[in-house]
Amino acid sequence: MLILIKLFTSFLLIGLGAYGGGLVTIPLIQHELVEARHWLGFDEMTQIVAIAQMTPGPIAINTATFAGFRVAGIPGAVLATIAVVLPSIVILLVLLPWIDKFKKSGRVNKFGQGIQLGVLSLILFAVWSYGAAAVTGWLDLVIAAAAFLFLLVFEGKVHPVIVILSCGVIGAIIF
Amino acid sequence: MSGSDSDKSKGLVSLADIFRTFFRIGLFTLGGGLAMTPVMRHELVIRHRWVKDADFVSVMALATVVPGVIAVNVAHLLGRRLRGKRGSLAAILGTVLPSFFAILFIAAFFLPFFRHPKVAAFFRGCAVAIVGQLAFAGFVFGRRLLLSWRQVSVCAVGLVTVGVLQSHPLWAIIIAGALGYVLCPEHETKGAGRRVNSD
Repeated sequence: MLILIKLFTSFLLIGLGAYGGGLVTIPLIQHELVEARHWLGFDEMTQIVAIAQMTPGPIAINTATFAGFRVAGIPGAVLATIAVVLPSIVILLVLLPWIDKFKKSGRVNKFGQGIQLGVLSLILFAVWSYGAAAVTGWLDLVIAAAAFLFLLVFEGKVHPVIVILSCGVIGAIIF
Repeated sequence: MSGSDSDKSKGLVSLADIFRTFFRIGLFTLGGGLAMTPVMRHELVIRHRWVKDADFVSVMALATVVPGVIAVNVAHLLGRRLRGKRGSLAAILGTVLPSFFAILFIAAFFLPFFRHPKVAAFFRGCAVAIVGQLAFAGFVFGRRLLLSWRQVSVCAVGLVTVGVLQSHPLWAIIIAGALGYVLCPEHETKGAGRRVNSD
């Protein structure tokens, strides 16, 4: 029971920070589930994030369902999924009455810029913290750099899942 | 039935239709957010004609600016437009359930294979790809946001918060938000969205 409550609060926090797409959930999940709670190892976290990209639906939701399942079975999957979605619903409900002012306000724009910069700092931190665990040799570094360059050259033209699938296949062949 | 938020001239859209349509959108998109945009537009604007293109674009813009999972925000806003609160609920459930069941299916049937050495090697390749994706996301965000020393310092403070002080990642977002309010100029970002948006 206690683990379900902890799981729920962890994913409320992850949902709260899931601002700007699925990849921001990586540093949040690494902090909440791997480092603070020790529920998942690095390998399990990678499986979850990779599978989340290869299955239908938003990455944050897939990640929550999968991580919840691994920590506490089906009840965990249900609770984690609800928890990750809940902040989105509540925040939007609270903001809706002010939405027109919100869109035009320069002050809100200033605050929003700050939040986006905070998200950017988390992503850059994740390149370092997740990267340190994932990249263990020069071969890893070459593949990571190739993935980056591929995304850069074909920006907006290829789906990110192509990159993760091809790197997976390359990994299965060479590792 | 409270359809007060609906500004449609034709008859009310049924909740089952809303659910089915968003379920289809959730099922046929890999990855959330902006990857969903073309499928959503096809279903909602072209196929069902529930919203006009201009409305769709403004809903997308709003959904990307407010916090939270983008796809859920879009479902929330459009569902509400079509059938009020119940419409929101139907649309959100429709968006979430395909992900939920797809993951449960994989977790239930494929988890035992994850220990196989070849599968482990596959995931090692994926991990490396994720590093590339993160670096690319950082590059795209940075190119759009880091326009002057002000933004660079806000981002640097966020990095120190999470990297040096080892605080909870949410603190980086909160502190950067407050600092941005103090430091950032009123309109300097290119485009309103928080991701590279095509509209």
